[in-house]
Amino acid sequence: MLDLLSILSIAIIITSLGVFSLRNYQFSIYTYAVQTFILVSIFFTLAFRFDAEQLSIWGMIAFFTKVVFIPMLLLKLVKKLDVKSEDEPVSGFFISPIIAMGFSLAISMAIYPIYLEFSLIKEAIPLMASITVFMMGIFGFILRNSAIKQILAYCMFENGIHLSLALMAYNSPEIAELGILTDAIFAVVIMSILAQRFFKYFGSLDVSKANELKG
Amino acid sequence: MNIELLLFLILIVPLIISGLIWFLKKDLKILTSIHLGGAIIEAILGLAAVASVVNGKTYFIFDQMLFLDAVGGVFVTLIAITGVLVNIYSIKYMQWQVESAHITEKDVKLFFSLSHLFIFTMTFSVLANNIVLMWVAIEATTLSSVFMVAINKGKKSTESAWKYIVICSIGLAFALYATVLLYSAGFSVINDSHSTMLWTTLMSHAKEINSDALKLIFVFALIGFGTKAGFAPTHTWLPDVHSEGPAPASAMLSGILLKCALLGLVRYYAIVGNSTLGFEFVQSVMIVSGLLTVFVAALFLIKQHDVKRMFAYHSIAHMGVIAVGLGFGGFLGIFAALFHTLAHSFTKALAFCVTGNIQKIYGTRNMEKMGGMIKIAPITAILFGIAVCSLVGVPGFAIFVSEFYIIQEAISSGGYIPVALFIIGLIIIFIADFSHYNLATFGQSKTEVQCGEVERKANAPLIALAALIIIFGIFTVDSWVSLLNSAVKIIIGV
Repeated sequence: MLDLLSILSIAIIITSLGVFSLRNYQFSIYTYAVQTFILVSIFFTLAFRFDAEQLSIWGMIAFFTKVVFIPMLLLKLVKKLDVKSEDEPVSGFFISPIIAMGFSLAISMAIYPIYLEFSLIKEAIPLMASITVFMMGIFGFILRNSAIKQILAYCMFENGIHLSLALMAYNSPEIAELGILTDAIFAVVIMSILAQRFFKYFGSLDVSKANELKG
Repeated sequence: MNIELLLFLILIVPLIISGLIWFLKKDLKILTSIHLGGAIIEAILGLAAVASVVNGKTYFIFDQMLFLDAVGGVFVTLIAITGVLVNIYSIKYMQWQVESAHITEKDVKLFFSLSHLFIFTMTFSVLANNIVLMWVAIEATTLSSVFMVAINKGKKSTESAWKYIVICSIGLAFALYATVLLYSAGFSVINDSHSTMLWTTLMSHAKEINSDALKLIFVFALIGFGTKAGFAPTHTWLPDVHSEGPAPASAMLSGILLKCALLGLVRYYAIVGNSTLGFEFVQSVMIVSGLLTVFVAALFLIKQHDVKRMFAYHSIAHMGVIAVGLGFGGFLGIFAALFHTLAHSFTKALAFCVTGNIQKIYGTRNMEKMGGMIKIAPITAILFGIAVCSLVGVPGFAIFVSEFYIIQEAISSGGYIPVALFIIGLIIIFIADFSHYNLATFGQSKTEVQCGEVERKANAPLIALAALIIIFGIFTVDSWVSLLNSAVKIIIGV
């Protein structure tokens, strides 16, 4: 019988597939908001079950920044640019989610036993979820061509890291969590500004069209 | 001055200067004076702080979350000296850009403000004893510099800025994972949440931390900090960003930023090296990564005709050289790697600032179209020559010293195959560079020359950098050697 923590962890994996795969920007952003809401719920569940008071404060901060502020910012960006659906990803709309989820799960299966050894909270399914969400974010960057989807991918791997932090290092000083969160918000704001600039110069959000520089 | 106060000041002054420039009106005269005055004060404070740690002492502030040890002292030296000289050069450079209508006065204000914010984030990353704060600061260096790179608007500039933030953010995500894992693995031994975050505590408990976890942690740290430092194969952001950014931004990025990211890796190198694994594991990983980086850069260098892209690939190559130094290890290898950070910082700052002059003179970055620089702009040509000579490791220039030490360490430790490969890499770089230098400096110019030699004021900081390259190449600077000796002892845990 699965407990609440495992159900929430599985839900966070499923939402990562949604954020990654949904073509419509608005749906994708809403799914991200749902994912972050689940993350916040996990924070509160952990706080309650493991007597980790810090996590309720993290949960509250994450609610305002990641469930409310970042989705609002991205929705505003989508509205401003008047874009609806993303451009064709690398290897197509059907195959890319399969590749991303397949590899993410495989990597998380391989790594989670090491995490389990040191984690403050030794729960296998949430640890696997943290690695899967992180890897889905990384694959989002690699496989999706849309600048907005790449920002969402950044937000997603950020969620994975926050879940890892909550499980493995919830007793770390608050300044650590605050620092990481501040960086993330600035990163999303800066990436949104650059996405607007990108749209202005390239007439599209498809970053694969930017190939004037050869690396 | 009280050292604790000094540490606080070297951190906070750049932030104040940045804020001041940000909030003042866009009167270029006033902004320039504050920018210049601020840069000089930052350098004086930085060097004064370094003077206190030359003999190996370590000072802490803010409940040990920030500290300055000799290792950090090496990097504060780069921030202080390279930072001030590049910031001085940026005044003239920005003036040219405004005159040629490439940017507006508003952009100059933004650039000056960001350049001090950038100095703040880099100093923060060097002073952080708390490993999470160090990560936060290194990520913040990307965020604070992205609009310095993209100050010129347009397709290429936007593309390079996007690449920069995306690749570095992905890379650093792995570094954050390394940080979380290290905390977690360390906590099971140290059992105190505050001190488990501290590099100094982790170092003293390194032997008790699980060695399997440390292997994974080091690989993650290498991917993370290595991406930001420009190691192959995740170096691809670097040539684009360095070639598209304004010359002073490239100089600052290449001269200082890459080394700050490297310091993050050095801190992990020290912890893992001092664990039960010993230095063998980190050294073998670093040597493979370093040689790969040197070769990738050397091969790309051959076909570069864009002067800024050429120097960008040099940055990659020399980060590879530093990695190889750490890879051969031993006292001399690590000493050489740290020496190389300074040698490369001065050389690369000079090189990129010279490209600012070159672009002003020729209006192009393509070396095939240049020519006759020695007649048109002799001082710029000589400064260009000094930068190239140092970059390829000609004796008498700073980079030769560290490369010589690395080879010496490699031979004495019996690493004949890696050293042979290393030397081959350096030879390729040598040939590629001199052929390019000849193209630009001698013969006939194939493009319409925009102006002759640039103003003395613009060249003054470059001459200072050139002088430093030669001084560190010829003389033994005692305080610098003491600082390096103290730093190496900290890293190898003596």
